[in-house]
Amino acid sequence: MRIVTFIFAMFIASISIVSGQGIGSPGTIKDDGRFAASTKQLNQFFRRFNAEESPTDGNVRYYPGDTAYHSVSLRKGFLQILFDNQTSSISPDLKTQFINTVLSPNYPHYLNFHREGWYAEVQADFMYKGKKESATIILKIQPERLGHEWVIDEVSFPPFKNLFDKPVGDRKDFLHPLSHELGFMNLRRAFQDSDSPEAYTETSFKPDYLTLFLYEMKQNNLRYQTVTDVKFHFFQIEGWYFEVNQFNRPGFNTGWLISNLVKLNPGDKETIQKYIYDQN
Amino acid sequence: MKNKMILFLGLFLATSVSVLAQSETISPARKQAIDSLALEKVKDLSKYVSIIGSKETQFSEANRVMDRAEELFSPGAEMGVSSINTNEIAYYKIRRYFERLMALNYDRVNITWYDIQYISDLERQPDGRYVGVVTVYQRFEGTSIETGMTYKDTTKKDITIYVEKKQTQIAGRTIEFWDVMLGDVRVTETSA
Repeated sequence: MRIVTFIFAMFIASISIVSGQGIGSPGTIKDDGRFAASTKQLNQFFRRFNAEESPTDGNVRYYPGDTAYHSVSLRKGFLQILFDNQTSSISPDLKTQFINTVLSPNYPHYLNFHREGWYAEVQADFMYKGKKESATIILKIQPERLGHEWVIDEVSFPPFKNLFDKPVGDRKDFLHPLSHELGFMNLRRAFQDSDSPEAYTETSFKPDYLTLFLYEMKQNNLRYQTVTDVKFHFFQIEGWYFEVNQFNRPGFNTGWLISNLVKLNPGDKETIQKYIYDQN
Repeated sequence: MKNKMILFLGLFLATSVSVLAQSETISPARKQAIDSLALEKVKDLSKYVSIIGSKETQFSEANRVMDRAEELFSPGAEMGVSSINTNEIAYYKIRRYFERLMALNYDRVNITWYDIQYISDLERQPDGRYVGVVTVYQRFEGTSIETGMTYKDTTKKDITIYVEKKQTQIAGRTIEFWDVMLGDVRVTETSA
């Protein structure tokens, strides 16, 4: 398997070395093939996954009708180099199963930028009440007017984590069932006497952390600083989940690569999503 | 610059009739033409960066080039710079970034570019403009004669491009053409 990867990387390298399409022609540095091999953008990850570009530096694009467009042999080569082959512990057997699913002759699977089933996880630093805090923001693509946009789907923010720790059982206070007869005068128990007003909410109550997050921002309690990390989660291939991370390191196996692969059993998708969204 | 503009206007006009008829989708031929224009802009930026960074460039000339370089960008564009040692990103307004580049304390500065680039698909934004990303790699070498030390790095630059259909009047006729502006730039130090 490694030999195939190496041969494919060298193939990419050898062609790119003679391409000579630099941005500044004289005085440019010849790439030794590493940058050509690198999956430089997530967009290139999509195009390589689907075999929609040349196995050189990707400068030749394939469109429906081109013979190489979605070519199985090209995809096979690309898929081998789209895995993090240095640090991830994805077993060769699992990888082969995944590639076979993706390249299934009767039902090949492709990634689609505009379709649901993938999203970004962004780590970002904020100043919250004078302290630096990191938030996890989940973003997804949605159609909007003439095009598309990334939108914030959810946020996980540690300072909010135990803010709504709803008591259960004997510890849970309540408004007795005849409170209405007294014009709910006992609401003071919830809003004045209690440290856990959430105890008085319905069973299915779930705090909306994103609303809370935006509220704190509008109140100037939360100030954005910077993004510290980005990764992507994909559920677009039926029965599979994978994570794509950026690898900035020496060698040919760099850029946006699959770092985690899971074959999904019934219920696994929801469990993983719950874990990613961290909304417990 | 003017000649270049006319050349590209001609290039776009040559294919404009067929494209105007098909709503706002970008054909492969049009995409290729836009890619070329985007690369021209990136080339211009690369040239300007090299001039601004060179110690041989006089202050007044560097300022003039900075003005030209700034014109390539849409208003409010920023550079987000990170190094291998930290995952934090420092953000600079374009002008500030150039000023920092000019102020670098090296006696000799050599900026070169790798012969590799990648241009993303063009995606349509809600406002109807198209957006893409051009990735290029830059090699920086700065030498201090006093210490004899040379600092080297290779950075990956992911440059936003905005593609918009515009109109101009030539000899009394309204001509439509596609224009490219540069936007935010993400600069990442690589381990190459």
